Amino acid sequence: MTATPRDTPTADDLRPLPYRLRWRPEGIFPGAHPGRGEGAEGEFRRHVSLLRQPDPRRIDLRVSLRDPYGELHVRQFAPRRAVPVAMLVDLSGSMRFGAAVAGPVAELGALLALSAVRSGDNFALFGCDDGVNEAASLPLSRRRGLEAEVRERLMAARPRGAGAAGLFEASGRLPGRRSLVFLVSDFLMPAGEIERLLDALWRHDVVPVVLRDGALEEDLPRWGLIELGDLETGAARLVFMRPALRARWLRAARARQAALAGLFARRGLRPVTLKDALDTDALAQRLMEG
Amino acid sequence: MNAAGAVWEGLTRGWGVDHPAVLALLLLAVLPLLATPFRRRGIAAASLIPDDPLSRLLGAGLRLAGIVAMVALVLGLAGLHRREQSVEREGTGAHLVLLLDRSSSMDNSFAGRAPTGDQESKSAAAKRLLAEFVARRPHDRIAVAAFSTSPMPVLPLTDHHEVVDAAIDAIDRPGLAFTDVGRGLALAFSSFADDTDEASRAVLLVSDGAALIDRRVQEALRDAAARTPLHLYWLFLRTRGAQGIYDVPASGDDSAQANPERHLHLFLQSLGLPYRAFEATSPEAVAQAISEIDRQETRPIRYAERIPRRDLARPAFLIAALAVALLLAAKLAERQLRPAGRRLAGATPLPAADLRRAA
Repeated sequence: MTATPRDTPTADDLRPLPYRLRWRPEGIFPGAHPGRGEGAEGEFRRHVSLLRQPDPRRIDLRVSLRDPYGELHVRQFAPRRAVPVAMLVDLSGSMRFGAAVAGPVAELGALLALSAVRSGDNFALFGCDDGVNEAASLPLSRRRGLEAEVRERLMAARPRGAGAAGLFEASGRLPGRRSLVFLVSDFLMPAGEIERLLDALWRHDVVPVVLRDGALEEDLPRWGLIELGDLETGAARLVFMRPALRARWLRAARARQAALAGLFARRGLRPVTLKDALDTDALAQRLMEG
Repeated sequence: MNAAGAVWEGLTRGWGVDHPAVLALLLLAVLPLLATPFRRRGIAAASLIPDDPLSRLLGAGLRLAGIVAMVALVLGLAGLHRREQSVEREGTGAHLVLLLDRSSSMDNSFAGRAPTGDQESKSAAAKRLLAEFVARRPHDRIAVAAFSTSPMPVLPLTDHHEVVDAAIDAIDRPGLAFTDVGRGLALAFSSFADDTDEASRAVLLVSDGAALIDRRVQEALRDAAARTPLHLYWLFLRTRGAQGIYDVPASGDDSAQANPERHLHLFLQSLGLPYRAFEATSPEAVAQAISEIDRQETRPIRYAERIPRRDLARPAFLIAALAVALLLAAKLAERQLRPAGRRLAGATPLPAADLRRAA
C-alpha cells in the first residue's frame, strides 16, 4: 500500500501516477491493465465447463464436486496486460523557449517513466528534431531507474532545427500494437501538419501535452520595447508593446488555443496543458479519467 | 577612372574633412544593420506576434538612428567642414578705380590754408566721404591708385573692402609736391587691362588741381581710352579763389600752362568717354558730387561673394548625440519576457497508491 520507492535517486520527489485506459490492450505480456479475452491468470471472472475451455490445469475441484450433474468446471480469469507507453518530445527550435524541455518536460518525462515502470509497462522516449535524436531517446524498457535516465537525457537535450520531421519518423518507430503515446509539443506548427501527425499516430492512444508559457500570454508587459527572434527561423522583430497590442496579442493567442482545442476535439483527443510548471494533480486526474 | 574622379571631385568640391583616414570608420555604419542595442529574446514562433506596423516603423527608425549616430560621429571626428567658397551673385555696382591726388596741397583746407580748429583739410574730407561712399557700395570691386610726382599703384581691383577702407584711410598722410595727372590716369586705365568682366567701369579722379599733360602721355591716354570703355568722373576739390574748370579766362591767356584745370577738363572731354566733372568748393559740395556718382554707377554687376569655411563637426556631434539619446531612450524602455520554464512545479505529490488497485 505504501511502497515508497527508495531505489532511485529522485524517488523522494517523484510519486508515480496511476493511469487507466479506456481501451483493452492487446498482447501477451502480463501487466496492470484489464486486457482483452479470457486468460489463465488475473482476476477471477467465472466458471465455465471444461468442454468450453479445455484447460484441465484450471479445473476447480470444489465447484466440480458440488455440481449435481457431475460436470467439470474450469476457472476463467480476466487477463491483465501491459501496454507500451511512449513519450514523443518535440525538440525543434521553438521548444527552446524558456528552457521548457529541461524543466517541466523533463519532469513530466521522469514522472511518466516512473509511473509506467511501476505499472509494469514498458516506456520509450523519442526526442524528435529533424529526425529522431538518439541522444534524447530511449528504447522500450521497464528497468529500474529509467526515470532518472529519462530526466537526464531530456535535460541534456538541445532543441534545434525546424519542423516536425522527427515526430513523423518517431511515429513510424512506435510499437505495432496500440500504445499510450504522450505527444509533447508546443503545437505551433501549421494545423495541416498537426493533422497529418495525428493521422500517422492513428493506431495509438494519443495524449497531446500542449506546452504554453505565461510569459507570452498573461505576463506580457503593458509598455516597452522587446526584440524577439524566432527560435526556428532566426527572424528578428522589434515589438513596441502597448495595451492595444497586448490585447490583440492575447486575442490571437486565445484564438489559436481554441483552434487547437477544436482540432483535438474532432479526433476525440483530450489534451493536457503544460503551462509554466508541471501540475501533477491535474495530470493525475486526467490520467485516471483514462 | 577619370570620370569617377571627376564625379568624386564634383561631390566633394564644397566639402572637406581634416582627417580623411578617419573616414574609413564609416564602415562601422553598417553595424546597426547587423545588430541592435536590444537583447534579443527568443520566441517560439514569430507567428505568435501580431503584425504591427508601428513596431516595424519604430524598428526601422531605431536602425536609422544607429546609422545616423555612427555616420555623424565619424564625420565629426574626421572634422567635416564646408570649404571656403565664392558664390557668384547679381547685384548693382561697378568696377571702380579711385585715383587720388597725393600732392601736398590736398592737406590744406578748402580755403587754401593749413586747417585749423574745426576746419577740415581737403584730403580728410575726401577720405571721410570716400569711406562712406565705399561703405554704401558693398558689391563694387575697387582699385586705389594715387599720384603725385609719379603714379603709385596702391591696390589692384579687389572685393576686400577692409583693404580699400585702409587705403582710403591713408590718403590724408602728408603728400608730396607735384601733380602728375596724366600718368596717374594712365595707371588708372591700366588697372582695367586684365579685367574681362562686363561690369560697368569707372575711374574717379579726386584732385585739387591739375597739371600739364605731356603730349606723349596724351597720346597714350587717348589710345587707352579707345581700348577701355569706362566712365570718368573728376571730383575737383576747388580751393577758394583758385581757377575753376569752367572758367574761360580772358582771351590770350587761355593756355594749358596758365589754366591746367580747364585744359585737363577739355582734354578729358575730348577722350570720347562718358565723362563728368564735379567742381566742389566745400565738403558739402563733395558729398553731393559723390552721391551723384553713386546714383550713376548702378548697373547690374556679377560679383563673387566669399563664404568662409564653416566647421560642421559641432553640428555633427549634436546630431550624433540626439541619435544616441534616442537609442538610449529606446534601450531604457526595453522590457523582457520572463519565461517560467525553469521553475519546477511546487505541487504537492500525490500520496503513493497501489497502482494495481488503482488501475
